[in-house]
Amino acid sequence: MSAKKTDFSTDELEAAFDGMGEAVVIINTRGIVVRANGVALKMLGYRTTEFIGQLFYKKVKALTADHRIIESGSRPTVKAILSGQSVYDYIYYQGKNKAPMPVFVSASPIIKNGQMIGAIDIFRDISMEEAVDQMKSEFISLASHQLRTPLSSIKTYSHLILDGYMGPVDEQIRLALRVIVSATDRMNELISTLLSISRMESGTIVLRKDNVDIAKTALEVINDIAVIAGSKGVEVKLEAKDKEPVLIRSDRPIVKEIIANLVSNAVKYSMDNGLVIVAVKPQAAYVTISVSDNGLGIPAQSQAQIFSKFFRAHNVIEQETNGTGLGLYLVKGLVEQLGGRISFTSEQDKETVFKVKLPRKIVVKE
Amino acid sequence: MSKVLIVEDDKDLNKAYDLILSHFGYDVQTAFDGQEALKKSRQFRPDVILLDLLMPIMGGLEFLKQFAKDPGSKAKVLIFTNMENSPEVNEAYSLGAHRCIIKSWAEPQHLSRLVSDALLAR
Repeated sequence: MSAKKTDFSTDELEAAFDGMGEAVVIINTRGIVVRANGVALKMLGYRTTEFIGQLFYKKVKALTADHRIIESGSRPTVKAILSGQSVYDYIYYQGKNKAPMPVFVSASPIIKNGQMIGAIDIFRDISMEEAVDQMKSEFISLASHQLRTPLSSIKTYSHLILDGYMGPVDEQIRLALRVIVSATDRMNELISTLLSISRMESGTIVLRKDNVDIAKTALEVINDIAVIAGSKGVEVKLEAKDKEPVLIRSDRPIVKEIIANLVSNAVKYSMDNGLVIVAVKPQAAYVTISVSDNGLGIPAQSQAQIFSKFFRAHNVIEQETNGTGLGLYLVKGLVEQLGGRISFTSEQDKETVFKVKLPRKIVVKE
Repeated sequence: MSKVLIVEDDKDLNKAYDLILSHFGYDVQTAFDGQEALKKSRQFRPDVILLDLLMPIMGGLEFLKQFAKDPGSKAKVLIFTNMENSPEVNEAYSLGAHRCIIKSWAEPQHLSRLVSDALLAR
């Protein structure tokens, strides 16, 4: 067979493999390393002789973001071999004498003549990307604190004028000032949301261990939102039939933030004469908090994305242009931080129910 | 008449809080940093101190540490901050702060109520 001018010979393909800028490890179906290129060996800290012919899963530990070992059954290459499909994941690899390194892994099965002969693991060090993410989070945090300072003055001085400290104020000016105060409050809420998200994403939240009275906390939320709900003609009720207060061991400010976000959404997307119900149902190991409304609802085609960052369903954008699409993203993250789960059912223009299941006792990961 | 010491480095806010609390009948003095606050608290002997955390020269936390050493210090300290749930706020509580107020949320009526609540508290 004569080689065409565009063909690479086996030697040349070998050279290409070894010269690749990404780390590549090829294993057989028993998990033994059959090939590894220069970048892979360097990143993992092994010499060829220490690595080729050895069990991949022994030489390279795979860990989760919170440094728990990933069992061999759950490793990308094993999943690729078992499923016959490419598997992608963000995990940590730990080689010889090295600290765990954040990597993006793409593992694919190798099939020759219809037979599974192994897998190819391509991985990239993403420490740089993680550092940039960290910087972005810190920036949002700093910016949010800085933004609150002038807001304090705007709000305080608007109130000083509104409340007559600067002399009598006619109704026109009063109305204008109320607009300013209301806009300031919206900005405050947005900053609070941004701050919560950046703290959540950067993993710097230290959970408190409070005795949280869920019904009492829910009532506080309902009181806080009373004025806004009232102005929209929306009624907000608490349904907690238990005579005993439902107490859980959790982080009180975060539990309140979760309930407040859900109730605020429910009121926001309710119509005049709408009804929002907050219900508290204790179970053995969990408490279920549900927030229901009979407002706009979430269209079926938008339901899969509802917890995505910045996502807003088209029906709410048409009705209400104010909204960041961050609320549910934040709520889901906070619920999961507390070891809970969030779910919902919704029918457009009929009813929406969000259910948050929180463990009665917070499990703090050491 | 109850005495309130306002410790806040932002001149506009300092002036606003002075105006509000004086209007509600409190005897008010002000300071713009922790060091000035220490001096004034010794002379003025306030019943309530409104204390900002982030200030130049000497911040709120350092003030609290020094203030605790003064045997005559019986004032209730209300912390002003824009950083809720932060480690600084937790430290302030452990240094004896009575309550925390988020500056950007505070309204004049709330301010006077927070001060009167603090005065009533044991």
